[in-house]
Amino acid sequence: MLGKLDWSAIPFDQPIPLVAGAVVLVAILGVLFWVVVKGHLPYLWDEWITSVDHKRIGVMYILLASVMLLRGGSDAIMMRIQQAVAYQSQGYLPPEHYNQIFSAHGTIMIFFVAMPFVIGLMNLVVPLQLGVRDVAFPTLNSVGFWLTATGALLVNISLVVGEFARTGWLAFPPLSGLSYSPGVGVDYYAWSLQISGVGTLVAGINLVTTVLKLRTKGMNYLRMPMFCWTTLASNLLIVAAFPILTATLAMLLLDRYLGFHFFTNEAGGNVMMFMNLIWAWGHPEVYILVLPAFGIFSEVVSTFSGKALFGYRSMVLATMAICVVSFMVWLHHFFTMGAGPDVNAIFGIASMIIAIPTGVKIYNWLFTMYGGRIRFATPMLWSVGFMVTFIIGGLTGVLVAVPPADFMLHNSMFLVAHFHNVIIGGVLFGAFAGFEYWFPKAFGFRLDERWGKAAFWFTFTGFYVTFMPLYIAGMLGMTRRLQHYDVAAWRPWMIVAAFGMAVLSIGVICQIMQLVVSIRNREALRDRTGDPWDGRSLEWATSSPPPVFNFAFHPDVRGEDAYWDMKTRAQQQSFDHDVPGYQDIEMPRNSPTGFICAFFASIMGFALIWHIWWMVILGGIGAFATFVVFAWRDHDEYVIPAEEVARIDRINLEERRSLVSMAGAV
Amino acid sequence: MSDQTHIPAGHDLAPGEEEQHSVGERILGYVVGLVLALLLTATSFFIAGTDLVWQPSIPVALIVLAIAQMGVHLVFFLHITTGPDNTNNVLALAFGLLVVFLVVGGTVWIMSHLNGNMPPMDQIMRMRT
Repeated sequence: MLGKLDWSAIPFDQPIPLVAGAVVLVAILGVLFWVVVKGHLPYLWDEWITSVDHKRIGVMYILLASVMLLRGGSDAIMMRIQQAVAYQSQGYLPPEHYNQIFSAHGTIMIFFVAMPFVIGLMNLVVPLQLGVRDVAFPTLNSVGFWLTATGALLVNISLVVGEFARTGWLAFPPLSGLSYSPGVGVDYYAWSLQISGVGTLVAGINLVTTVLKLRTKGMNYLRMPMFCWTTLASNLLIVAAFPILTATLAMLLLDRYLGFHFFTNEAGGNVMMFMNLIWAWGHPEVYILVLPAFGIFSEVVSTFSGKALFGYRSMVLATMAICVVSFMVWLHHFFTMGAGPDVNAIFGIASMIIAIPTGVKIYNWLFTMYGGRIRFATPMLWSVGFMVTFIIGGLTGVLVAVPPADFMLHNSMFLVAHFHNVIIGGVLFGAFAGFEYWFPKAFGFRLDERWGKAAFWFTFTGFYVTFMPLYIAGMLGMTRRLQHYDVAAWRPWMIVAAFGMAVLSIGVICQIMQLVVSIRNREALRDRTGDPWDGRSLEWATSSPPPVFNFAFHPDVRGEDAYWDMKTRAQQQSFDHDVPGYQDIEMPRNSPTGFICAFFASIMGFALIWHIWWMVILGGIGAFATFVVFAWRDHDEYVIPAEEVARIDRINLEERRSLVSMAGAV
Repeated sequence: MSDQTHIPAGHDLAPGEEEQHSVGERILGYVVGLVLALLLTATSFFIAGTDLVWQPSIPVALIVLAIAQMGVHLVFFLHITTGPDNTNNVLALAFGLLVVFLVVGGTVWIMSHLNGNMPPMDQIMRMRT
């Protein structure tokens, strides 16, 4: 009846996950109770859960990423403490638990923090920057989000029901095969990635189509803001690379469930093929993450330097070059596998070549800042912090791209330090910069600068104190994923790293405080004009938060930096062209399709993990039926009457006019 | 979002929008495609089992037929044409082909070198006998 599921699945003997799980469960139940008692449930359901508004979906993506960042961060803290204390002792985490933690940390941070964070920002901002009213496939967008949430849910369930994978974040066979991992851990891993992978693919298709097909009047490709370009490149990579991940994990699952021999040691299976395939997805994946961050930095640096982006066309070219070359370097993750000098040399050279377009970008940002009037607001601090940090990470990356050096450094702490250097310094700093930069656009008030700057400095310092020692430990020969060790020389560096982790945590606390303080002072921090940073692209041309239809009139774009252009040509007043008259606007109706689909997908995923076959069928039929019902819908749009559009638009215009006249009076 | 159709003046159709064709024409297109696809499939099965052709040419013939099959699908079902409103689709196809070429070609190259340097167990066994 319940497959492999019974009471032994709940880890009653392990206090840490059980207590953590209980606390989270109480918190969730508390929030749910509060929501229901206060009568917020209809609001949540109508305005958020069933919303197909790209801005709302973007916000939900970022919320999911933030919550999962806390989860993944807790794992990181536990690992740092373990390695600080586990010198010539077992530490406080038993090996099987420690192995689950580092696997969960990597999986969560990549798939459920970095991915949703950048996809959320792209969803929130790209349609606004393109001057359009919605993404290409609004309901599909919602489905994509909720499927990602399903994946995150399954990973978190594994904390208290059963176990998570102990195989590292990419679950290499034969360790992840049935003979070495008979438990449900790898199944949790694989099914949560399969389901959220569908969500990511859907989001990618949606955003590619949006950028290619929906642009306002005059928005040529070469007038698009940089963030739209990087979004295009990143989502092209999603569409091209995620099917590889899906196929590879599907083969692993066939091995595990139906006794196939794709990646087994015996019967003609080839373990190395898994490494090859997973990295053919895995390397484009890092560019999927970092390209949008590059776009965010381009926007931020240009805005806060008060200058157009230096070398816009070279930036576009560099972005597209990275997009293509990112598919030619994947072997550098397994130089040591033994493909021989010819193959290693070619892939090593390709890996060094990809540093060139990245270098072009760095120089472009520097030259954008050169001669500009730089305002060091929080988003700009993150951007400058990124440039310094990412250069170090990039240089150690070029170092490990040299095959002989890689043979020394492969799977050492040096590698761990390198990829944290680029992912934290690149993607996470970018996500935070984007968060600070676009928060006023999403919610209508700015974030507190004092707490924001404190968060930056603690995170920045904490990062260096945590990860620079790991480089040294790697040089001293320490390998990654050690549950305990006996080498005295490594100990001091592990203690420094744990101390750095504490500093980093203060940074995270500052970020939470910033949110709390800003929400309390929201009236004082209110952004009335919709253009708090003196912005350059179209998202600042509408109010904050934007109305559901984004723009009352489609903006007419006549050059790069569309909104800056309008402002300099004193066309601010052109927003009050009451003359042509407002028109009715059709917007897509909200739809619970995404939520219901993900609900059934969650059931199906959980049942697949525990081999509860009747429930698999139930979930599968449910998800498919939801899709069929949606496909046969009759009314998918509603009309906002012209008077309503006019009323909403005029409120924003009043604010802008009063600001302009105030500026004139001063 | 019917009011967005005018925006990108003079090129791409908005997503989900059909080109202006009569139903009859469209059905004809699908039928031709289906017939061609079935023909190619039947030929593949026939070639695979026959001794009418020179045996070593069979794999090559199958590859050619498979590529032709893809072409039929692209043209008749996915509506890839050379028309000016199809630039995006053609570019997407080219990007897809490039990625497939890189990943498949790269994989074959990597795995053959790997097997040359470190043969799998069963190959080592065969070499010993």
